[in-house]
Amino acid sequence: MDNFASGFRDAFHIIVSLDPEFFEIVRLSMVVSLTATFLAAVVAIPFGTWLGIKEFPGKRILVRIIYTLMSMPPVVIGLVLFLLFLRNGPLGDFRLNFTATAMIIAQFVLVTPIITGVVFNGTKDRGPDIQDLARTMGASPSQTVWLLIRELRINILSAVVTGYGRAMSEVGAVMVVGGNIKGHTRIMTTTIAMLRNMGEYSLAIATGIVLLLISFLINSLLYHWQQER
Amino acid sequence: MNIIIDSLIKKYNNKVVLDIPQMEFQEGQLWGILGPNGSGKTTLVRIIAGILDSCSGNVLYQGHEYNDSIKKTMTLVFQRPYLIRSTVFENIAYPLRLRGVSEQEISTRVDDLIESFNIQSIQEQKAWTLSGGEAQKVALARALVFKPRILILDEPTSNIDPESIMQLEERILDYYRKEKPTILMVTHNIQQAKRLCNRIAFMNEGRIIDSGNPSDIFGSGVIPKIKEFIRKGLI
Repeated sequence: MDNFASGFRDAFHIIVSLDPEFFEIVRLSMVVSLTATFLAAVVAIPFGTWLGIKEFPGKRILVRIIYTLMSMPPVVIGLVLFLLFLRNGPLGDFRLNFTATAMIIAQFVLVTPIITGVVFNGTKDRGPDIQDLARTMGASPSQTVWLLIRELRINILSAVVTGYGRAMSEVGAVMVVGGNIKGHTRIMTTTIAMLRNMGEYSLAIATGIVLLLISFLINSLLYHWQQER
Repeated sequence: MNIIIDSLIKKYNNKVVLDIPQMEFQEGQLWGILGPNGSGKTTLVRIIAGILDSCSGNVLYQGHEYNDSIKKTMTLVFQRPYLIRSTVFENIAYPLRLRGVSEQEISTRVDDLIESFNIQSIQEQKAWTLSGGEAQKVALARALVFKPRILILDEPTSNIDPESIMQLEERILDYYRKEKPTILMVTHNIQQAKRLCNRIAFMNEGRIIDSGNPSDIFGSGVIPKIKEFIRKGLI
């Protein structure tokens, strides 16, 4: 219990002291997770919506693959990407291992199936009705797509929040491809893992508390935006 | 706008659910499409409305195949209408916004309909808070706001209270008398069809087994199959 109590004290101290090293870790964590979530959303929202309203041979298999990828262990994703990014690997020329870009790619791969799956689930139930309404009202294809996005916005936002939460809390994949290099690829989750290994439990708890606070703030903003609409 | 059906076939899993060799829904008539459950009524109107593809055959609207300009002059009111996540006013205004109508014109036309449907008290209410009867009124008002030349109604009064049914029937008849569109109304209710419609198409097992004036269809010359359905209470 002492670790928790001192963790709260240290968290407060870290926030008020404006420690530059810690704030760099927070900044990088947010940049990596927000960029990965944004890129995943750009791909997954149209794809999940399309999957929800279209019928085609092989759709069931594709959906099962997406569901499987939703629960893919992050460390496996990290390992696969690490091997692809190795100097003698197929993508070795890009020299991506141990960079923030590799961490963004890892989180993108992790989050895209999650957003796709959640958007798909919301669209398959209501999407066909929305599409029928648009057609019977005389909507053009672009007006139909816009109506789908508008009507499914709450589901889409939930998908993005879920994806962002997964990205922000992820540690395995970014640890493997990023390497937790101080000032370069160190983010909050890898810091917590490192502090735990060093036996700095109260500092690890403090970092965890700050991570939770940031997640709470971002989720509150998104929730507020969702309620307004 | 008349609707001509030619050799229309629809199959699901190789089972024929609709087979109509020839049929004409004449312009300016109010058609009741009747038949027992599973007779193909909804399939037929969904194909006519352009939201379901047939396997073969044609549907011609005033001699033209389904296209964008036909789409803009036709609508379908569903048995369980989908209302957009907004207010009653915005739901009714939606087809006009799609057509780029001016705000002033939207306001005038929507207000007129809200008054004629007597739904002023709910015009700012969110769609998901409406009762079944209210939702169906909003759906019909939304369909009428752009004055379609073909109005298709798929059991628009099922599962709603008698007072709402009466109001909806009045609005349908008002619109019909004023604009003389072609109306196809799927219904299970033979009395309703007699009250509203001047033409009947009776369906069974994917085919139109009889069509014409209600007095011919249900009068002394009623065909045995329809007589049997009426006797068994299947319609």
